[in-house]
Amino acid sequence: MSAEPWPAEWLRATLPLSVLAVVAEEETYGYAIAQRLQAAGLGTIKGGTLYPVLNRLEQDGLVTSSWRAGAAGPGRKFFTVTADGRAHLTERVAAWHTFTERAAGLLPSVGSPR
Amino acid sequence: MTTGTDTYRRELVQALRLRDVAPERIGDIVAEVESHVAETGEDPREAFGPARDYAASVTQPRSRGSWVSFRALIVLSAVCGWLISRGVFGLVRGEPLHGLPAGVVLGIGWLLWVPPVLAQARRNAPVPDPRTGRRLTPGRARVVLVMTVFLAALMALTWLLALLTV
Repeated sequence: MSAEPWPAEWLRATLPLSVLAVVAEEETYGYAIAQRLQAAGLGTIKGGTLYPVLNRLEQDGLVTSSWRAGAAGPGRKFFTVTADGRAHLTERVAAWHTFTERAAGLLPSVGSPR
Repeated sequence: MTTGTDTYRRELVQALRLRDVAPERIGDIVAEVESHVAETGEDPREAFGPARDYAASVTQPRSRGSWVSFRALIVLSAVCGWLISRGVFGLVRGEPLHGLPAGVVLGIGWLLWVPPVLAQARRNAPVPDPRTGRRLTPGRARVVLVMTVFLAALMALTWLLALLTV
């Protein structure tokens, strides 16, 4: 595993799709999404990075949100994937894999710089 | 709520209002920040960056019209302050100003204060908290009161200065 943090431009490229994928797994909220991304090895994603991504996904109609009261403490904003969000994810996941495989094909293997 | 969160809330609401964001949307953005830091225990500035930068990252750039009207209000407020101070000095010295009685100049100054007060009252519509339905900010009446008291205090100070210098 590479040392954190990942370059910001890599995260910018991958976050919208990664966040959408996490929301598509199950209805969830911001802090839980950040924890899930961290557990997946993407590093610590600050609120200031995460919520603009969630807001854009919502503006694009890929997720919806609703506030619910917490059992204890403040309410939480839950995000749910929409049908358009699922379709977008399916389409972009295939394209993303193709893209990363092609990019990886250009790179030398680890430990053997060309 | 901690002082850090309180301060951040004020700064964020102000930054979002300056960008002409609807009160409901402001409430949503503020609640997201507060809900998140309540779970992580972080300081909002550390988690979300300076309020002004965060406001810019979650909203559209300010429109040209919004900048023009903001500057026009600042100019109007400056003119209003100038007229009031001239009016006060005129009254104390018993001199007319540009052929107008000093009391009329003072009155025009107060009248010109009305558009900035109305604009601020419009901009300071109460922000609802989506978590509770309650208000996150004071209502419009407080803005009107604060701005009126501010101008009255400015006038009183000018009056005192005029009395001391005449």
